[in-house]
Amino acid sequence: MSHQETPFRAPRRLGKHLSLTALNLTSLGLAAAGLVLALAAPPAATPARADETCQSPYMAKITGNEEYIYVWTLGMEGVGDESDKLVTIDVRPDSGTYGKVVASVSVGGRHEAHHSGFTDDRRYLWAGGLDTSMIYIFDVHTNPGKPTLHKTIKTFVKDTGGAVGPHTFYALPGRMMITGLSNDKDHGGKSALVEYGNDGAFIATHWIPDPKDMRGADGQANADGYNYDARVLPRKNVMLSSSFTGWSNYMMDFGKMLQDGEAMKRFGKTVTLWDLHTRQPKQVFSVPGAPLEVRWAWGPNHNYAFTTTALTSKIWLIKEGDDGKWTAKAVADIGDPSKVPLPVDISISADDTRLWIDTFMDGTARLFDISNPEAPKQIYQKKIGAQLNMVSQSWDGNRVYFSTSLLANWDKKGADNEQFVKGYDWDGQELKHRFTVDFIKEGLGRAHLMRFGASSLYSS
Amino acid sequence: MRVLAAALVLVLSAVPVLADGTVADVDRRALARLQDPPLGLPMVVPQPADNRATAARIALGRKLFFDRRLSHNATMSCAMCHVPEQGFAQNELATPVGVEGRTVRRNAPTVLNAAYQVRLFHDAREDTLELQILGPLLARNEMANPSAGHVLATIRAQDDYDGLFEAAFGEPVSLRNLGRAIAAWERTLLSGDSPFDRWRYGGRRDAVDAGVKRGFDLFRGKGGCTACHFVGGDDAMFTDHSLHNTGVGYRADVLDRRAAGPVPVQIAPGVVVSLDRAAVDAVGAPPPKDLGRMEITNDPDDLYAFKTPGLRDVALTAPYMHDGSLATLAAVVDFYDRGGIPNPNLDPVLQPLHLTAAEKADLVAFLRSLTGGNMAELIADARSGGVGNLTAGTSYDREPAR
Repeated sequence: MSHQETPFRAPRRLGKHLSLTALNLTSLGLAAAGLVLALAAPPAATPARADETCQSPYMAKITGNEEYIYVWTLGMEGVGDESDKLVTIDVRPDSGTYGKVVASVSVGGRHEAHHSGFTDDRRYLWAGGLDTSMIYIFDVHTNPGKPTLHKTIKTFVKDTGGAVGPHTFYALPGRMMITGLSNDKDHGGKSALVEYGNDGAFIATHWIPDPKDMRGADGQANADGYNYDARVLPRKNVMLSSSFTGWSNYMMDFGKMLQDGEAMKRFGKTVTLWDLHTRQPKQVFSVPGAPLEVRWAWGPNHNYAFTTTALTSKIWLIKEGDDGKWTAKAVADIGDPSKVPLPVDISISADDTRLWIDTFMDGTARLFDISNPEAPKQIYQKKIGAQLNMVSQSWDGNRVYFSTSLLANWDKKGADNEQFVKGYDWDGQELKHRFTVDFIKEGLGRAHLMRFGASSLYSS
Repeated sequence: MRVLAAALVLVLSAVPVLADGTVADVDRRALARLQDPPLGLPMVVPQPADNRATAARIALGRKLFFDRRLSHNATMSCAMCHVPEQGFAQNELATPVGVEGRTVRRNAPTVLNAAYQVRLFHDAREDTLELQILGPLLARNEMANPSAGHVLATIRAQDDYDGLFEAAFGEPVSLRNLGRAIAAWERTLLSGDSPFDRWRYGGRRDAVDAGVKRGFDLFRGKGGCTACHFVGGDDAMFTDHSLHNTGVGYRADVLDRRAAGPVPVQIAPGVVVSLDRAAVDAVGAPPPKDLGRMEITNDPDDLYAFKTPGLRDVALTAPYMHDGSLATLAAVVDFYDRGGIPNPNLDPVLQPLHLTAAEKADLVAFLRSLTGGNMAELIADARSGGVGNLTAGTSYDREPAR
């Protein structure tokens, strides 16, 4: 949804990122369409002003200022209780604790906390451990300022038939689409998409096509079976998945891995196009260099998505042509690819004109003008810290939040292992610092994924 | 001799394990391998007097070998580093990573034909399979269990182990029986009947081509390889079971630490960049020291000495050397052609060989002829039981069962 169109504002309980213009009902299954129709509310004149831009379109959306940032945080040896935890930072502008940690829920032990995602009703936040494959479901609606651990799924590997490393948690109607990154046979990169119901019950496993089992998809010469992120464009009935690497690599000391010629051969080089409704893989694109985050444009006629490759440092455009065929092509470099700046998280603006890209190695946030998706151009950059991983921006683009940790054993060592969440205002020209939470001084650990919360979602 | 050994094993083997009193096919095949090892292997498979293989012990050992719950956080099984499809070793890494991604210093050796090993680990610090398993189970950078008792409590906490130790050993799980079960299974991973075996020991002239035959002549002639990789008249394990300093350890521990130039890194197929070493060092812990056998004996003469590996199935077990530093068999042949890496303790048996390119190719062809003919069976049998993972009834923070 872009600012150019008139979004509808749903009742606070049921607000959705999904607009009717963004949804081609004929391309969806009747069940899903019916559910969305039942949940959708009449259009309102007030455009949305807040919330992250990179969430599922099926998910309830904050229509005011975000109030809390939930930071899924890796336990760090020698820091605090050394355990993974969900940390809540108060970002209510008028709050006396603005920019401060107001809650922390430890799950006990280190599980390689990585990504998290809300259910479609946004009442629960699912957070995964890439190492142990544990999934923690936090209640964020009862008291948005103080989440609690609601349920733990310990059987992900068993349930799924061998997928390891739950990564992306992406809301679909009544269920979560989860990407696995590895498997229990060899800890390599072959993995699967997995669905669980919002109640925590396992539903299905969809293995990523690989050369030995393409599952009906085209592109055998490209296929690798690897997985990372998954995002959908409902009105075109498509889903994209990207590809990273297996447990052995993402758990390994980064410096050791860079010097291990065998390990470096095992990175994803594909983006896979799926039929969203049937979960049928359709086509495997060659996207070498570990394509990570996938971000669909929001515009009603913008039939494209971006991803960035971590190792080869490029922006890729996956686009539907006028002939209805989908293609993937590299459209820009990020920094100097020969120095491997390692682009990690990306965040697309709600009007599809800007793309924030964090580069881990130089700790720099870069802003690209993507008005012409075929030719992105970097227009701004700012060093945020010694290392940088995640970026989340508000729906109006006025606030941008950054965090540091990539993976426990990939983070920098020694003094450069800064761990923080920093909040900035963005005025269109400059990032202006608002707050810093030092996650080591606070005894918390390694700050990773940030998700926005607000009590307004749950008030009547 | 072979018949006598087979008869002995038959007498000693308890048989039934299935509820209907029959032996599963997979266990029947495993017992058959013990009774009649594939061509080229010594006819008698060494088994300790107190751990004669039975179907129940083999089946239990296989289950344990593939059980990720046996590590502290339920992520690592034996098979995560000894992957059946990767030569029961690990092709995808030079050296493994353990629990929480911790660095393991040495390449995962194959478990194939471990039954014939007289000393275990690259530094030969253990001498029986029954005891060997304690090393990885308790090593903080491997399976990271906090204590031996914790391992046993973990097994007791799983419903799917109920009665299995009792059936196999007549008593509940114990450290002794845990080692015995896994060892019993590992001993059945007997790989032989390779093209080389069929030619050398089976009398089939056409089992290998001329290049392999020339390579074997080089192996035991100009190459001098049989000085350490023994080949017998009736069988061959291609090892002297001893330890040698080839310079690989010296290179990693001394020369590589002095390296200051850029680091070549493959970032995509066919795309290699040179990264500043400072950038690599910024995201990496310093490599751990590895003194080889000297760590065990405290004898300076053992500095950087590592065990001679057998060469069976060597084509399946890349990368090579104790640190996985050589990616291909051709690289290994080149290494020995140069006479290893000079260092104060270099084994004098290593000398420059002055092999021609054709001779190197023949040596590689010979090494490739050592892949067992029963590999598909070994892999299928290994995978027959699935992988052990946390179940709904398993508590991650499980309390020891009493």
